[in-house]
Amino acid sequence: MPIVVNLDVMMARRKMSLNELSDKVGLTLSNLSILKTGKAKAIRFSTLEAICKALECQPADILEYKEE
Amino acid sequence: MKITTQEILKVLYIFSWIIFVGVCIEAGGFIFNTFFTLVVNPVDAKHFWEGLDLSSLYQHDPGFFLVITSMMCTAAVMRALLFYWIVKILHDKKLDMSQPFSKDVQRFIFRISYLSLFIGVCSWWGAKYSAWMVKQGVVMPDLQYLRLGGADVWLFMGVTLFVIAQIFKRGIEIQTENELTV
Repeated sequence: MPIVVNLDVMMARRKMSLNELSDKVGLTLSNLSILKTGKAKAIRFSTLEAICKALECQPADILEYKEE
Repeated sequence: MKITTQEILKVLYIFSWIIFVGVCIEAGGFIFNTFFTLVVNPVDAKHFWEGLDLSSLYQHDPGFFLVITSMMCTAAVMRALLFYWIVKILHDKKLDMSQPFSKDVQRFIFRISYLSLFIGVCSWWGAKYSAWMVKQGVVMPDLQYLRLGGADVWLFMGVTLFVIAQIFKRGIEIQTENELTV
């Protein structure tokens, strides 16, 4: 998929673990893992909002378009 | 009192077992009697199966007798296989109502649709062959006795199940997409 999820990059910048993010966002570890590994087919605006709030970033910092 | 899906499946499981045993006995009986008539005692053709008299067919030509009984046996074995698959999927509890769209169920529906079509074609061909035998002057029993009736119903069922299987295929895609939405 040409949409790349840079969640791991943002988490590393903010020095935040997956468990910590999971607690802050209210998502399960398995769902966060799906998102982190790029297996996710879609993301809800509410999830994106919660992640941006927790990581203090913009949606563009997490999602990126790369031509295949 | 509300009847749950699990209770319905349990009842269907019991019914499927009963029908499966019945069709297995029938298929076994057809195969055994065909062999017995052709190899051991031709008189058996008169009492082939539950009042089914194939003596005139046998007297006309044992080859034609073999063709008709082969079709009967094939259709009976396919029916037994169909119920075996139904019993198996109910026994393995692969019908998960919380996530009904699974690959196993899709494969099951595809399989039984192909099998129904095959039984339909076999029965239809048997019916045509039987009609041709009547034209040759052979006294043939009714198709219901030959267990070759209802070819149109089998074909209709096969086509319907095939359409349902295609819908199921799309359902699996939607379910997977839903599961991978975070």
